Amino acid sequence: MLNLTPYILLAPLLGFLALGLFGRSLPRAMISVVGCGVILVAFGAAVADFFAVLRSPHPVSDVHLYTWLTSGSLTISFGLLSDPLSAVMLLIVTGVGFLIHVYSIGYMEDDPGYWRFFSFLNFFVFAMALLVAADDFLLLLVGWAGVGLASFLLIGFWYTRPAAVAAARKAFVVNVIGDFGLMIALFLLFGAYNSFAYSTIFGARPIDSGTLTAITLTLFVAAAAKSAQLPLHVWLPDAMEGPTPVSALIHAATMVTAGVYLVARAAPLFSAAPTSLAVIGGVGGASALFAASIACVQNDIKRVLAYSTISQLGYMFMGEAAGGFSAGIYHLMTHAFFKALLFMCAGAVIHALGGEQDIRKMGGLRRKLAATYRTFLVGALALAAIFPFAGFWSKDAILGALLERATVGGGTGWYVLYGIGLLTALLTGFYIFRLLFLVFHGSYRGAPVVAHGANAHGATAADPLANVHEPGGTMLSPMYALAALSLIGGGFGAQALFNIGDFSAFLAPARVTSAAELPTGLFWLSLGLSLAFALSGVAIAYVRYGSGQSYFVAEGSENALTKLLQRRYYVDDIYDAVLVRPVVALGRWLRGAVEDEALDGGTRDLGGAIGSLGDSLRGFQTGFTRNYAVYVFVGVVLFVLFFVSTRP
Amino acid sequence: MPVSAYLTVSALLFAIGAVGVVTRRNPLVMFMSIELMLNAVNLSFIAFAHFLNSVDGWMFVFLVLTVAAAEVVVGLAIIVSIFRTRRTVDVDDLNSLKG
Repeated sequence: MLNLTPYILLAPLLGFLALGLFGRSLPRAMISVVGCGVILVAFGAAVADFFAVLRSPHPVSDVHLYTWLTSGSLTISFGLLSDPLSAVMLLIVTGVGFLIHVYSIGYMEDDPGYWRFFSFLNFFVFAMALLVAADDFLLLLVGWAGVGLASFLLIGFWYTRPAAVAAARKAFVVNVIGDFGLMIALFLLFGAYNSFAYSTIFGARPIDSGTLTAITLTLFVAAAAKSAQLPLHVWLPDAMEGPTPVSALIHAATMVTAGVYLVARAAPLFSAAPTSLAVIGGVGGASALFAASIACVQNDIKRVLAYSTISQLGYMFMGEAAGGFSAGIYHLMTHAFFKALLFMCAGAVIHALGGEQDIRKMGGLRRKLAATYRTFLVGALALAAIFPFAGFWSKDAILGALLERATVGGGTGWYVLYGIGLLTALLTGFYIFRLLFLVFHGSYRGAPVVAHGANAHGATAADPLANVHEPGGTMLSPMYALAALSLIGGGFGAQALFNIGDFSAFLAPARVTSAAELPTGLFWLSLGLSLAFALSGVAIAYVRYGSGQSYFVAEGSENALTKLLQRRYYVDDIYDAVLVRPVVALGRWLRGAVEDEALDGGTRDLGGAIGSLGDSLRGFQTGFTRNYAVYVFVGVVLFVLFFVSTRP
Repeated sequence: MPVSAYLTVSALLFAIGAVGVVTRRNPLVMFMSIELMLNAVNLSFIAFAHFLNSVDGWMFVFLVLTVAAAEVVVGLAIIVSIFRTRRTVDVDDLNSLKG
């Protein structure tokens, strides 16, 4: 079978090295061509791989590149896997990644760090591709850490902004918690299986269930940190401090999908650990509902989308917990399309308004940004899971898996999770259409937009939006492409409506299991319910915000629930009080009492004492030879007296 | 003659040499004083060697003579080069190396 996976990794790596080493002196056009070109090459290879996998009767092949290290019974090879799961993931990573690269050409055109940006983006894609193409857990860890590093670099890309630096640091610290979980899981895996290779571990005999639960739970700690699940979600909303294309990349193609991928990859382990699955379901459900409710009251356009991502990732984990690992990956794919699209639209709006992100100061942009509006509408419909947009199919697959799990004796807990899924569907419809109405409908509420760019007109009170214009072609064309994917991306699932299991059957050779089929009656019931909930969410948003008038509560007079949601359940404040402040206080104390006084003070005093001793002795060095002769003479006399007096 | 007579002469010579080193400012005279001290020591070595019937003392004397010769050569060379650069050899003027 054709396996081009090494080239999918090699191209972005070369791009990263070329731009990182020589980008500073290259012209912008060259940087754009190299930066996007390498990803296009990778995408081409990924497409070829994907079709090879699709057509092959044995769609799993493993390229052994070389033996990385051998130590005792441990042999670690550098091998790349091509199977349905990694083929789909690589397709998403390189495909959506490529569109984001193209979009960045327009979005970042005025940035002095242009070459640096593309170099980091290429590295991000490389690390993510390594993560999903690795054929053992240790190599996955390498990609895992690389992705964390890339996100740190890109979130803190505008490193002169203190907020961006703080956000980058936060993302890194939270991700290190996840890395720690992954390493513990790796130690446990090696202890249990004596190997890191997927093929060995997933093919081995079942092991002691306690160990398996420990392994899967620590794996999930890693997944939760990467995929921003409770209680490790705090870094993702802050990550929007990076440039908008980075948000699109983190939220859609790379980074947050890694956790969902890890759980799906380790599906054989998770399937055998019901306790862990229950934990994942609980965490996923809580995250989905929690983040969706927060998204309903946020006033920053990117923050709404960030919480939406947490919520949708919670959905994916719920689906995986119910045994529908393929449903989770399915939703990961469609979510990548429409969330990248929504972020690009948000970027276009922010770009057009000269950096404004507060939706209270937007409104009425529908006519000026017609193309952005249309693509945003497609993304919103897909996110709200309205038939026949992509999100509908995948969200329905997840809800179906949950309902199936509940009806075959899963117990009340799974019905509760199904209910949470429906409620979240309602909230999703509400918050995304609230965003749509507030940004694009009604009348403009902000200050006149100051001219930027070549075709500037004088903004007046009569037309404060005179300077607002659509983004250029490099930004619009990826948006159109993703809008098309958000519309038809559920095409994989087109048959699923009538014959569940097409996408699932495709993923099955990669040991990604699926939930069983729902009985026909329940299937249609679930379909109808999810659509009804989503539509009622949209309807509530329309009633409240669609009439053209803005609906904002004055600051300070919110009711308790709104206040709670606006403060994001006080999670950040709690972390601040419980973790950050004590650590900072400890650091201050160590700096003052230990560093300054004990360590520095101690060495200072010691140095001072030696210095003053030297000062008091320098008088002896007169420079007169005869004085020295006297010292020698006196010294010899003293020696002799000493020996004579101590003679026995 | 008892050994104490030799040792007395040796001690006297040594004391004269030591006083010379400390009090004189001409390096040549200081060298001569140092030679005096060395030979005072040589004298006591030979006295002891004779009275103890041991050849070790003689050996030391030869060693001291050799070292003294080498020392004088090096020392004179230094004095000559100091004189060439500074036009004086008064040791009290050579006091720039001090704390």
